[in-house]
Order: sequence, then C-alpha cells, then structure tokens
Amino acid sequence: MITNPIGVISLSKREILRFFTVATQTIFPPLMSSVLFMLVFGVAIGQRIDLSASGLTYLQFIVPGLMAMHLISSSYENTSSSLFIARWHNHIQEVLLSPLSYFEMVLGLLAGGVTRGVIVCIGVYLVSFVFQPLPILHVFLLLYFMAMISVIFSCAGMIGALWAEDFNMLSMWSVYVVTPLIFLGGVFHPISALPPVLQVFSKFNPICYLVQGMRYSVTGVSDVSIGLSALFAFILAGGFFFFTVHLFRIGYKLRT
Amino acid sequence: MRLMYNSDKAISINNLTKYYGKLQALDNVSFEIKRGDFFAFLGPNGAGKTTTINVITGLSNYQSGEVTVFGYNTTKDYLQARRLIGLCAQEFNFDPFLTIHQLLVYQAGYFGVLPHAAERRADQLLERFGLIEKRNVKHRALSGGMKKRLLICRALIHDPEILILDEPTAGCDLELKYLIWDYLTQLNGEGKTIFLTTHYMEEAEKLCKTIGIINHGRIVRIGDKKEVLRDKTLEAVFLEVTGTE
Repeated sequence: MITNPIGVISLSKREILRFFTVATQTIFPPLMSSVLFMLVFGVAIGQRIDLSASGLTYLQFIVPGLMAMHLISSSYENTSSSLFIARWHNHIQEVLLSPLSYFEMVLGLLAGGVTRGVIVCIGVYLVSFVFQPLPILHVFLLLYFMAMISVIFSCAGMIGALWAEDFNMLSMWSVYVVTPLIFLGGVFHPISALPPVLQVFSKFNPICYLVQGMRYSVTGVSDVSIGLSALFAFILAGGFFFFTVHLFRIGYKLRT
Repeated sequence: MRLMYNSDKAISINNLTKYYGKLQALDNVSFEIKRGDFFAFLGPNGAGKTTTINVITGLSNYQSGEVTVFGYNTTKDYLQARRLIGLCAQEFNFDPFLTIHQLLVYQAGYFGVLPHAAERRADQLLERFGLIEKRNVKHRALSGGMKKRLLICRALIHDPEILILDEPTAGCDLELKYLIWDYLTQLNGEGKTIFLTTHYMEEAEKLCKTIGIINHGRIVRIGDKKEVLRDKTLEAVFLEVTGTE
C-alpha cells in the first residue's frame, strides 16, 4: 500500500521536527501538569482516598490515567494544530501536490501525533517515579493501547482540523468533547465510585475503555473487561484511520 | 524515480467544466499543450486561469471532463501525473516552521527524492536563484522578491517535466523578472514544458510559443503565437477577444 516510502518518511520527519522545535509548548507542559496532578491529587489529597480493595494507592491509580489523558491530548493537539495551520497558511498544498497517496498522507501526518503522544506518555510514567515507583505488569498490552489510543486521537485531531474553519472551531472539539470525556472516563476515579446514573453514562464513553485498558496494562486493575477494551480500541483506531483517509480522498475542505 | 510516458501531449484537457457552488468557473474547456511547448495562458482576473491550474494539479475537484498529463489521468493516475508537474503558485504558502533549505529538501522528499540528492538539488537551486546565503533562515526573513524565487525553487526541486507558473513575475523588479525569464527560456530549451499565466502581455509575447486566452471560463482564442497575433500586438488581440476596454 506504500508506493512512496521516501515521501512518507519525509512527511513523518517534518511532522516530528515540527513539535520538537517547540518542545517547550508540546512536550514539557503535560509533564509539568502531571507532576502537579500527582503532587496535589496523588500525594496530598490521595492519602485520604481509600482504594485498598484494588490493592493500589491513589497515586498508583491515577498514574496510568494521567498517561492516557496526556497521550490522548498530545496526539490530538499535534495533528489538529499541524494540519489546521497547514490549511490556514495553505502550505498543505506542498503535500497535496506531491505523489503521496491519500493513505500515505494520513500516515505521514499521523506519525507526528503518535510520536508526540508516546513520548509524552512515557514521560508522564517516568516522572511518576519521583513520587512512587510503579512497575508495569503487561508491557506489550500497554504498547498496544498506547498505539491504538494515539492513532485514534491523531486521526480525530486531523478530522477536527479539516472540519474547523477558524481557531475557535478548532478548540471547540477539544474543550467541549474530548476534555469532558477524558475527565469522565475514569482518569481520577474508579467507575464504581460514581453515582449509578453516571456509571451508565461511563459505559457509553469510549475514552473510559481506553483509560481502563491503560490502567490494566500498568496495574492489572480495571473496571471493565480488558478484552472488550482491546477490541473496542482496535475498531475505533481502524474506523478513525480509514475515515480520515476517506476525507483526504474526497478532498474535504482540502480541494476547492 | 523517472516515469515512463510516451504521449507527446504534455497536458490534455477535454470538456472540462467546473462550478464553485452555482458559479460556473470553467465552461467546457478543451485544449492541448505539446511536450516542450512554452504556453502562455492569459485572461482577465477571474477568467478561470488559476482554476484551470488547480484542476490540472489536483488542487480542485471538477464536475465533468478529463485532464491528462503525458497520458496520465490526473484523477485516476494522480500519483504518476503529480510526479511530472511542478507548480509555482501565486501566494507565498510556505511552512513557517522550516528554514528555506529544509523546506526544499522535505518537498523533494515528498516526491521520492533521496535525502542526499535532495540536499544537492536544493543547494543548486538556491545558488542559481541567489538564495544560498539565506539557506538557514525561515521564509519570513525573505523579501517579496526572494520569496518569489523560493516559490520557483520549490516548484523545480523534483525536476518536473512540466513547470506551471501562476503569475511568477507579478510585483517583481526588473532584475528578478529578467532572471526568471532567462531561467524559463533555458528550461524550455532543455525540453521542459512551461505553462505560464501572466497579466504582462510583453512577457507572454517575448517568451511563449503558444498562447491561449480564457474569458468567463471559456477558451476564446488559442494557437501558435503567429496564428494568434496575425500582425497585431498581443495586447490588441487580448482586448479584442476579451471585450475589455
């Protein structure tokens, strides 16, 4: 399916270079906020929260959630800002004029989102060692979920960037959809701690399954079936990826 | 990667129709450009020149018709067609995160040019267009004329068979205009097909072998330069066929 590997590598390199050149805005802020979350919620408030039934401290409970949260937001923000700015400045033409297939274009743009998300996710895990070492129980499952989540939200970022006509519209998805779903997805609380109505709502929140997948991979604890989470993540990643390729193929807001 | 093609028609457009909403931008446009031609595509503002270019390069969808580049359909065989085209657009649409050298190297990469060859080609073009001293700056640090040159460098970075230029000398000083003219003449002499839009009649008259004039989305005159001019000036012909005062 890849006929122009040099083209895909070039686009991937450009996307990765782009966020590395502004690392103070793309890499370090989520690490900083994670340290603050761990300090305030994990260390200060967390000591008063009893999760002994799960065998975890509150800090151990939120670390995988924070990893998932920043994996989601970093992947999303990378592709949404990169593609939207490319549309805004119209240098997206550099890519559209090239002999990259639409599949390859999405793959190249995806590389930036996935790489940034994974770097930030690993970074969050590493900074958690400052407070309390947390061994990873299922490394390959964790890699699987990291890959799936970063693909899903990198593609979601591209879809948002294509849909948006201005910067207000661009931030709308992030502020009103992605962030609430993340916070209600069990990053900071077990689903069982919610009132019954919100527990039902959580079952329809796709991010809940992804957060639980990350948590199970690291700690072995989950509120939902891990098989279901893994399958759901795979279906979502495939769906989002091919839908994004479809939007590029029809030239949605890319071609006049 | 070099493509094999055997068509002598660099660009072939058949019955091309394009609407923007209810506005018809191109009305059943048909014409051909031979391999190695230097073609001037003229018309008043809004006549359909840039739309035609956008359709050829794949930047615009269209409702009906067919466009081929050296026999490759630009929709069905878009990967092959795009390898053969270099576009020098009107606007300065550069990636703000890259230096001008990186910009050219990445652009070459999208076309499948290996990194070391891309580096060499980028330096050659920057040298040729007097930008080598600026290779490590971002495009925002360039003057308008320098950005024009960079647009041409970017269009040429993958050594395309067809170079499409949308008003490349608009707003240029004389020195840059002559530099561009010389280079285009040289490229055409080497066998490259040039497709040029311009509002400067003397430019088209001086450089081009074939001339096409479009007005309100329709081709109103096309042919060999002598055939189009018939002892008149290009400006007179242009005014006559476009009905412009």
